Amino acid sequence: MITGTGITKTFKQRGSVLGAREVRALREVDFAIEPGGAVSFIGESGCGKTTLGRIIAGLETYDSGEIVIDGVPMSGLGHRRRQPHFRRIQLIHQDPYSALNPTRTIHQTLEAPLALRAKQTGRSRSWVDARAEELLGLVGIDPGYVLPRYPHQLSGGMRQRVVIARALTMDPEVLVADEAVSMIDVSLRLGILGLLKDLRVRLGVGVLFITHDIATARYLGDDSELYVLYRGQVVEHGPTETVITRPVHPYTQSLLSATPVLHGLEKPGAERVVPTEALDPSRTDEGCLFAPRCQFATQLCTEQRPRLSHDGTTLQEHACFHPRTRSVIPTGTGTETEMGADTLADTGADMGARG
Amino acid sequence: MSIMTNAQETTDPRSAPGGTPGVTRATLRRNFWRGVWRVLRRKPSRMVGVVIVAGFAVMGVAGPLLYPDHLPRDDDALYAPPSLRHPFGTDFEGTDVLALVITGARYVLLTGLATAVITVALGTLIGLFAGFRRGRWDTVLMRVTDVNLAIPGLPLLLVLSTVWKFESPLEMGLVLGLLGWGGIARAVRSQTLSLRERGFIEAARGLGLPTTHIIGRELLPSMAPYIAMNMLIAVTGAVYAQVGLFFLGVLPFESNNWGVMLNLAVFNGGALTTAAALPYLMAPLLAILLLTLGIVLIVDAMDEIFNPRLREE
Amino acid sequence: MTANPTAPAVRVRGLTVVYKTPVGELPAVSNVDLTLAPGTITGVVGESGSGKSTLALCLLNAVQSPGRIAAGSVEIDGLGDVVELGGEELRRARGRHVGYVFQAAQNSLNPLKTIGKQLLDLGRSHGVEDLRALVRDAKDLLARMGMDGARVLDSYQHELSGGMRQRVGIMLALVLNAKVVVLDEPTTALDMITQATILRIVREVHDERGLTTLVITHDVGAVAEVADNLAVMYGGRVVEHGPVMEVLGSPRHPYTRGLIRAIPRLSGDISLARALPGRPPTLGTLPAAGCVFRERCDRRMDVCDTVEPVPLTRDGRTVACHAVDAAADVDANAAPGVAAGAADRTPTTARRKEYA
Ligand SMILES: Nc1ncnc2c1ncn2[C@@H]1O[C@H](COP(=O)(O)OP(=O)(O)OP(=O)(O)O)[C@@H](O)[C@H]1O
Ligand SMILES: Nc1ncnc2c1ncn2[C@@H]1O[C@H](COP(=O)(O)OP(=O)(O)O)[C@@H](O)[C@H]1O
Ligand code: SF4
Ligand code: SF4
Ligand SMILES: [Mg+2]
Ligand SMILES: [Mg+2]
Repeated sequence: MITGTGITKTFKQRGSVLGAREVRALREVDFAIEPGGAVSFIGESGCGKTTLGRIIAGLETYDSGEIVIDGVPMSGLGHRRRQPHFRRIQLIHQDPYSALNPTRTIHQTLEAPLALRAKQTGRSRSWVDARAEELLGLVGIDPGYVLPRYPHQLSGGMRQRVVIARALTMDPEVLVADEAVSMIDVSLRLGILGLLKDLRVRLGVGVLFITHDIATARYLGDDSELYVLYRGQVVEHGPTETVITRPVHPYTQSLLSATPVLHGLEKPGAERVVPTEALDPSRTDEGCLFAPRCQFATQLCTEQRPRLSHDGTTLQEHACFHPRTRSVIPTGTGTETEMGADTLADTGADMGARG
Repeated sequence: MSIMTNAQETTDPRSAPGGTPGVTRATLRRNFWRGVWRVLRRKPSRMVGVVIVAGFAVMGVAGPLLYPDHLPRDDDALYAPPSLRHPFGTDFEGTDVLALVITGARYVLLTGLATAVITVALGTLIGLFAGFRRGRWDTVLMRVTDVNLAIPGLPLLLVLSTVWKFESPLEMGLVLGLLGWGGIARAVRSQTLSLRERGFIEAARGLGLPTTHIIGRELLPSMAPYIAMNMLIAVTGAVYAQVGLFFLGVLPFESNNWGVMLNLAVFNGGALTTAAALPYLMAPLLAILLLTLGIVLIVDAMDEIFNPRLREE
Repeated sequence: MTANPTAPAVRVRGLTVVYKTPVGELPAVSNVDLTLAPGTITGVVGESGSGKSTLALCLLNAVQSPGRIAAGSVEIDGLGDVVELGGEELRRARGRHVGYVFQAAQNSLNPLKTIGKQLLDLGRSHGVEDLRALVRDAKDLLARMGMDGARVLDSYQHELSGGMRQRVGIMLALVLNAKVVVLDEPTTALDMITQATILRIVREVHDERGLTTLVITHDVGAVAEVADNLAVMYGGRVVEHGPVMEVLGSPRHPYTRGLIRAIPRLSGDISLARALPGRPPTLGTLPAAGCVFRERCDRRMDVCDTVEPVPLTRDGRTVACHAVDAAADVDANAAPGVAAGAADRTPTTARRKEYA
């Protein structure tokens, strides 16, 4: 179990013309990841998602707040003593192209961390090769094909699977997947998402999923939680399906409205919300952070900052003075059932492809 | 669900799962050299380069063995024109110029090699360390590098040559190497700085792999083409520097080498004014140009040799 | 479709583009026929390596060595066959007639020059006399896309966000009044809200200026938002082509079906969605004979191994697949011309306003 409370991070940019400029990347973010659980963070680019992921993976420091890993608070520990704990959390890089060393074969890439692991756990060298094959099998690729190859000889989807396999060499408790599917072809995204869901069930690995495409968050499992991040603040949080089907915060609604509608297959939601202007991180910090872009903003919104809380009427927490459920996501048109029918019909054929 | 994910990207069905071929280090190394051979064969110019450089290497190793310690003089043929017996004529003492070039190669090439090894080793080490550690180490090492770059090489050598004879090419190489590593250190540092932000280095750190592994196995191979290129270019640089020093007469010449030949041809033989000593001047010049050409032709292949994508077609 | 009378039509016929590889010349685009009706937006979708960018480059006759156009023609109204153009004539056509926004336009701007400087360079290289008017047009276009024109022109690339750079790319493609515009992956690497904004801008500018537009992407969703027509590419072939609503509503080619089924969606039953099995093809792995999709196809028949399916057009939709041919023959005898999903076809113009 990993929890974070009040995680705050401010970047000070030096060298700017106007002197030092501050970017508040995270503002008192609370979160919790259960063993084998799934948590998604969504938001526009620049909202602090990557920063949070890197902090949780121990690759970035934070200004205040506390991260507790399996009951051990990290703030009391020095850099060296923290490392073994953070090793239990592995980051899956956004870009499967740069995440693998182009000069090393997949075998070499997996061998190094496995050899280290073997030393830590007192296993023999022969375990290393067996484990490499086992892990590749686990992520659904054929070890015989992949091991002797270089990264450039693999497709984007296969590369991302190798990256996941490499993260699994450390027997992590949580995988942090930062935009893990946005750089690979849409046609292969569901495969990776399915794999993450599968790893949760089979290995009990928790998944922290970071994305700007809310739709992908649905595919991690029914029990997943969703956090909507805006300018470093969590503005809505609840069960993924609830937040997607009954969003109450205008920002969440904007994100959902922006997801493309497959015209012909679905109808757009009736109340799509479009932000009135583009994100400007240097905007004033007064009142609700979303107020400058919010078409429902009132006087109150510009004066006070709403806090994340339950209001008793919805399943999710939100940070908005005027919460209201709006139907923003597309609905099916009915032609889908026809597609669905033959989808079911050919599942059998696909399953036969690999026993 | 679990079955579904496995079916997503089933790879080549012909290679049976589990039947991993033994990917040992030996096979990898064999594949590497086979790849190098393939890359070199890809362009005829590269093969020409290889032949030239190999030729000089043979000259350097075996050249002095082919001739007696003291080359025969022919007092009847001072500054003889090119002939079958003396393809590049003879010098002021009637010694065969070709023999002089061949026996003189060792000193020049050894110096070049020693210089290149020292510049590249020092430059890479310092650049890597500065770029990887950043912070205070970086500042200190880069100041040292600045000082290195600011040292005026020629005057220093002038001073040194008054007390030091540079009899061994390795001594010469050591001095040239110690003078010349600054540029490479700078370049390697900036490469390291940009590489260390790359995903795979970060991943290695996140996995807790030791720093020696990260630097030796992850960073260094990515910079290999770059380092190899610098090394080859450093060889030519050192050859020029050293031949130039001898030519100018900055260094006392105890032994026979190309720079000494040039010096004697110009200042003693008057090769610039009379035609007689011209072959004596041209021969070492030609040797230097040919060596440079050979190296330049090979440098072209470095990128492809060290980048598996380009190497494996 | 709002056919604009001034917009040119683009007719690609029998186009084949080959790349030279160590194992010989291999086709990245094979015998493609594609017509872009005047005033429409056509989306080209397909996985990485399917030949989308290569096809798009042909509209400029800009395929770089080791590639070359081996056969075919690209006719653009008012310009002629682009494949036949060369030298100065071709250079002038680029930008004047055909505007191109490159893949990763976010990174294709010169980092050392301000946007304004790059605009002037573009103007001079095309012999524009009135540079002042050019700058004015550029500012108008930028303002049209919701940006402060003066500020943007004074900026360097790194001072702009990804979405802003993409808009600058679109401005540079349009500022010389090109009537045919090609956008290669205009929204890849942008977040959803920025993507929606860019797509809306593309649609609006397209309508206002009377353009013929080609949008290339691997994301069917992005195309669905803007395009009138959809062409699906696989292994260098256009395997399906037709009105976007129909293709999405009732896809016919097995690849199109697989592609649509693989889109992560906000609504609908997630257990029905699944990734496309197998790997996207590369030049080296494409089979020489038969259907290029057969390794990943769930409807593969014996004939697919030997005979390459030819594109056949039926009620305005083109499909290249043996299974579809066979089914259509049966259909034709039973109930001619009833396409599923045709019932709820809403006019494209109405739909365009929805996200405005
Ligand atoms: N310069 C080149 N040399 C050799 N092959 C090339 C070259 N450029 C492209 N190809 C090959 O041609 C095919 C089509 O490439 P193209 O760039 O058109 O694909 P794409 O559909 O735009 O893919 P992406 O979505 O990745 O941009 C690919 O198999 C690619 O590997
Ligand atoms: N190393 C850094 N130095 C300065 N600012 C940074 C740094 N990393 C991120 N930021 C800033 O912090 C904010 C959040 O960034 P990030 O976490 O990358 O967002 P996201 O992943 O949601 O796109 C942005 O405004 C970004 O510019
Ligand atoms: S608090 Fe006000 S400004 Fe903020 S999101 Fe809610 S309605 Fe909009
Ligand atoms: S032609 Fe055959 S293999 Fe190709 S898509 Fe149609 S059914 Fe599948
Ligand atoms: Mg990010
Ligand atoms: Mg492309």
